[in-house]
Amino acid sequence: MRGERRTSWSAARAPTRRHFFSRIADGLHGAALASLLGADTGRAAALTHQRGAADLAVRHPDFQPRAKSVIHLFMNGGPSQVDMFDPKPLLRRYEGQEAPRDILSKIEFADEIGGLLPSPFEFAPCGQCGMEVSELLPHFAEIADEVTLIRSMWGESFNHEPSLYLMHSGRILPGRPSLGSWVVYGLGSENRNLPGYVVLDDPKKLPVNGIQNWQSGWLPPVFQGTRVRSEDPPLLNLYPAEQRASPLVEAERDLLRRLNRGHLSGRPWQPDLQARISSYELAARMQLAAPEALDISQESEATRRMYGIDREETASYGTRCLMARRLVERGVRFVQIFIEYQIWDAHSDLEESLRYSCGKTDQPIAALIKDLKQRGLLDSTLVIWGGEFGRMPLGQVRDAGSAGRDHGPDGFSMWMAGGGVKRGHVHGITDELGHKAVEGRVSVHDFHATMLHLLGMDHRELTHERHGLRERLTDQYPARVVTELLA
Amino acid sequence: MLPVFQQHCTACHGEASTQAELDLRSLDAALRGGTSGPAVIAGDSAGSLLVAKLVSGSMPMGGERLAPSEIEVIRHWIDEDLPASKVARAVTERDVLPVFQMRCVTCHGKRRKEAGLDLRTRASRLRGGESGPAVIPGDPEGSLALQRVLAGEMPPPHMLMEFNVRPPGSKEVETLKAWIAGGARPDPESQAESGSLVSDEDRSFWSFRPPERPALPEVSDTGSVFNPIDTFVVARLEHEGLGYAPEASRETLLRRVYLDLIGLPPSPDEAIRFLNDDSPEAYQHLVDTLLDSEHYGERWAQIWLDLAGYADSEGIIDEDRIRENAWRYRDYVVRALNSDKPYDEFLTEQIAGDELWDYRDLEEVTQQTVDRLAATGFLRMASDPTYSFANASLGEKLAVVADQLEILSSSVLGLTVGCARCHDHKYDPIPQRDYYRLSAVLHTAFDPYDWVDPTERLLDVALEDERRTASDHNDPIEARIEELESAWTSRTDEFRRNGVKALAEELPESVSQDLLGVLDTPRSERNEIQKYLATKFRDILEIRDGELTQRFPELAEEAEEFQESVAALKKTLVPKPRIRAAYDMGGEPSAVYLLRRGEPQSVGERVYPGSPEVFDKAIEPLSVHATRPAETSGNRTALARWLTQTEHPLTSRVIVNRIWLNYFGRGIVSTPENFGKTGARPSHPRLLDWLATELVRSGWSLKHLHRLIVTSRAYRQSSRIPDAARSGDPQNMLLSRMPLRRMPAEILYDSILRSGDRLDSTQFGPPTGVVVLPGGETVAEKTRGGWRRAVYTLRRRSTPVTLMDTHDLPQLSPNCTERSRSTVATQALQLENGTLARSVAQYLAGRLVDRFPDDTAQWVEQLYLRLYARRPTGDETTAALQDLTRLRREWYAQLGEQDDAAPRRLTSKWHALGSLAHAMLSSNEFAFID
Repeated sequence: MRGERRTSWSAARAPTRRHFFSRIADGLHGAALASLLGADTGRAAALTHQRGAADLAVRHPDFQPRAKSVIHLFMNGGPSQVDMFDPKPLLRRYEGQEAPRDILSKIEFADEIGGLLPSPFEFAPCGQCGMEVSELLPHFAEIADEVTLIRSMWGESFNHEPSLYLMHSGRILPGRPSLGSWVVYGLGSENRNLPGYVVLDDPKKLPVNGIQNWQSGWLPPVFQGTRVRSEDPPLLNLYPAEQRASPLVEAERDLLRRLNRGHLSGRPWQPDLQARISSYELAARMQLAAPEALDISQESEATRRMYGIDREETASYGTRCLMARRLVERGVRFVQIFIEYQIWDAHSDLEESLRYSCGKTDQPIAALIKDLKQRGLLDSTLVIWGGEFGRMPLGQVRDAGSAGRDHGPDGFSMWMAGGGVKRGHVHGITDELGHKAVEGRVSVHDFHATMLHLLGMDHRELTHERHGLRERLTDQYPARVVTELLA
Repeated sequence: MLPVFQQHCTACHGEASTQAELDLRSLDAALRGGTSGPAVIAGDSAGSLLVAKLVSGSMPMGGERLAPSEIEVIRHWIDEDLPASKVARAVTERDVLPVFQMRCVTCHGKRRKEAGLDLRTRASRLRGGESGPAVIPGDPEGSLALQRVLAGEMPPPHMLMEFNVRPPGSKEVETLKAWIAGGARPDPESQAESGSLVSDEDRSFWSFRPPERPALPEVSDTGSVFNPIDTFVVARLEHEGLGYAPEASRETLLRRVYLDLIGLPPSPDEAIRFLNDDSPEAYQHLVDTLLDSEHYGERWAQIWLDLAGYADSEGIIDEDRIRENAWRYRDYVVRALNSDKPYDEFLTEQIAGDELWDYRDLEEVTQQTVDRLAATGFLRMASDPTYSFANASLGEKLAVVADQLEILSSSVLGLTVGCARCHDHKYDPIPQRDYYRLSAVLHTAFDPYDWVDPTERLLDVALEDERRTASDHNDPIEARIEELESAWTSRTDEFRRNGVKALAEELPESVSQDLLGVLDTPRSERNEIQKYLATKFRDILEIRDGELTQRFPELAEEAEEFQESVAALKKTLVPKPRIRAAYDMGGEPSAVYLLRRGEPQSVGERVYPGSPEVFDKAIEPLSVHATRPAETSGNRTALARWLTQTEHPLTSRVIVNRIWLNYFGRGIVSTPENFGKTGARPSHPRLLDWLATELVRSGWSLKHLHRLIVTSRAYRQSSRIPDAARSGDPQNMLLSRMPLRRMPAEILYDSILRSGDRLDSTQFGPPTGVVVLPGGETVAEKTRGGWRRAVYTLRRRSTPVTLMDTHDLPQLSPNCTERSRSTVATQALQLENGTLARSVAQYLAGRLVDRFPDDTAQWVEQLYLRLYARRPTGDETTAALQDLTRLRREWYAQLGEQDDAAPRRLTSKWHALGSLAHAMLSSNEFAFID
């Protein structure tokens, strides 16, 4: 049966090793041995064969991958495509005119609609490729030649919450596994001392939907995103509230080991017991590995400056971008960076608002791409930029302040760079007002399928058995790999 | 175009068969479409299902993909060549129904009939409202419905937000126009409710036939048979040449049965009492005591609450609003289980509690009245974001109903009925029509076209003293708020009037005079012209609060002060005691249609309340007899009656399997939510049927079932794996031993508290809140007695208590039918460094030091009794004392020089014991149920 190997845990990909374990892993010796071997091969926890058990062991992709890891720069709020990536000079001609009926039938703030609103920003071609982007993105202009820009994304809802669920988990409702969970479920993690799926959220405020953005849904919790703060301690409960001297810590650990050993000795052939013991050992290793991985003081002054860590405007986002690079370098599979609640949600004061958000992110993002490239990591790292939707070419008028724009799910821009995508390429077209994707349309499911493809996985094969269905990231929707984006 | 179809499609869609009822041999047939709706929408290739299927490669099924150039040809044909007139000819009632349903009926529908107009049915549209017929067949220009839409007056622009309605798109307007022009044709010939879609072969599947009471099998090892359960298990084992593991030790059994039945470990006294009781009935007595314990209901309620998808917040949107009254449902479940309410009655109350008695005309409200209504909270547990205007679209309302149906079917029916929402079930004989029949049962309570805000969907029924307590508290505060508001109104009235006057004066005098007249007339006394003016000149006549301070900046400071004081007062209000119930809305319900692909814009045949056809020969089909016709349809009573028939093939099997799995770690059917064809087959089919029929025979007594299970030899065996079983039963499918189970989140949490004497065992009532600590950890708020049980702790979806969250507390989507059990490092980090385990261990150490000063052996004995429910062996005591010595030394060093030596010695002793207690709380022996 297609995809069956992923539907049960007795079916990771290395057949010889797997067969070896399947003969012995039900016993203490098997479990202990598996754990030992795991130390050499990146296996994080002892093997078990029970339903629902899970680990981060490296699993081979379906076919040759183009990328090994992903950095997802998620732009909560809905960045405005017509002000950043998708120039629409015609808006100037039709400035102030009333919008067509079909736009009005799908708009969030139906009582604040203004006329068509041209972008206040100038666009110019950049890089060798001549991609047109706006003056808001001077640093992006320097990396445009590394990027595949998609101008023809479309979503399903004009509200934030459902659109975030869609972008992060493939359906407009909560409860399904997120992108990162699926990826780590499919591929495991290269680093056995760090979580496979790391979330760098903004200390200022969680994104919309909060921690639900990185839930593993009905996949085992080992695939849930681990929230890493850019402050100390980076991981929840990594350290005790009060530090204890190492001899004391050792004494406590020895005691726990003794208790568990005694308990285990009377209970042979119980892999769950060994697995829990191993999880304590992993936790101890994480206490050392995590702070090291996130310690950006080890980076050179020049690197830190490149990311804008020396400037207040860019310091926060730059720090997270630099951390992301360090994590990917250490084999973390999926890193997501969030930014200040829904900073891109420019319902009013369009100009001021976009200058603020672009100012915070433009330089760090360009630095991340350049840095990955100079370290030879860009080929194996897929960087994704985008929000949950875009914005309307219409103005929106609120009580105070100047005009903004309402949400626009029917046509918006996202971009990818690195691992296996074309360089300096523009895909897709929106209508002449920049409202709806008309050519080369890419659904969120298409986007997900393409991402999995670049990681060497077929979205129809990456499945999980639930309620008699083989669930997948692209759900039951028609989805295709957008081959036009691939290098 | 047809040659392309002939080449690639018509083999399955036309000639040999018409898969999904789609025929691609003619244009008309393609436009008509199949079970998923039209294949082709003229002029809209992007919206045409055919193109989507071709592009994604899901069609041709099993064949070669079409080349992009071929698809391009099809696109062009749809967009450019399909004449619009071809479509107009086919427009019927069914095509325009979605326009009315999505754009109009919120205000012109069942309860709300603005201008006396109901746009739900063809007849009511022709009849029209105060302004005349809404639709005149053949006369688009004379049809008000169309004209008001075209003029942009309907839906009214200023009400779009409030009602989450958007104007129809241009295609919908065209359809509406074409429909009227074509004579407003009624529905095409009705195919509804005719013809069977299920065969006798479908009906023969094991789980669609009633359970039959099997004879008890013969076994040779009769000593292993403690009750009938064992005959089935042992017979299977003997067949494989195996037998049970030895009986578990009394200590092991003691801890196991406590944790399983009441979810808490025994206290030291309870442990000693049992361990010292040598009578042969000691265990039976213990089981009886535990089943009588008030904690039994708390433990087993959790399992039912998982199935119901219980949470104290609405979820889905960021606000994650607290459900102030959800806990009454939780209390109902706890009480029902404690009183051993028969399962059939338990289900009936939860599905139809409101229909069973007249709650509108009560002389006195008793706890029983409240419970029976609160029981229907079962149907109110799906996430519901529609209290927020931005999230109250038709799609979201339909999703709430779908989730509720999913909860009902996965928990009680054990079938994946939800698969049939968008198409016929792919594996089980559940046609899409059956899904909508079941959905129609719920529509009299949840009408998507006559929706009620979930925060208002509450019954105002409460115990007199609760009501009084709340109003004693709230009345003075509300009076104060009213005072402030009226003071503010009189303060601002003059400003508002002046503002309006200023604007009105700019208009022609006749209008301006009329407007001032409107302003001077109270809302209720306005005549028709004034009402019209009030709407027309709304922007001038109404100055919203936000605008007021903009226009009169001198009011800004006062306005802020006023708003702050009102907000502060509102915070101190306690929720009014009301019941979060599902109740019949009364009156004639809106018609229910099958929705192709589950989409409201794609209406199919009309359906009526009914049960899945596959059961129709095994048991009586669902049939509705209104119990109190004026108030309730009786729909859900009929559903409950259908489900609780003693012969029902699923109801009894599903619940006994569910209970079984919580003891043995795996169900007899290992897919408890899916007894269908893709589900697992039972490992012990006759045992399953014996238990199912036994449950029914006992009068649906769940306690009877629990007693049978925990007194069976199967349950009382050790977890040690007999040698023969290692190869003969490696996965323990045959129950050759008791499985070792990691405690579920709530048992772990409660056990930590109970072992450390920090459990506040206050029952019932509003949940205790949670707080998110600065570092990100979420913990429950402390009470005077410590912390309350998990089941009484706020279950907010966005902030789960971290200790439980890391230990596999499920995300409810929409419910949880089986917990996963994972082993991850974050669990270790949480137990090691999180706040709860450490502080409880330290507290317990303090108690022991106080109670047994310097009696270190007693400390160790007490810890073992409390945490492991057994006494330590001599070796264990010795080792523990050595550890204490080492820990005390390290703590003495840790505490440093700041303290005086004497208290420092004492403190280090206390801390050392805390470390020992904490290590034991963290150990496998504590975390596993042996």
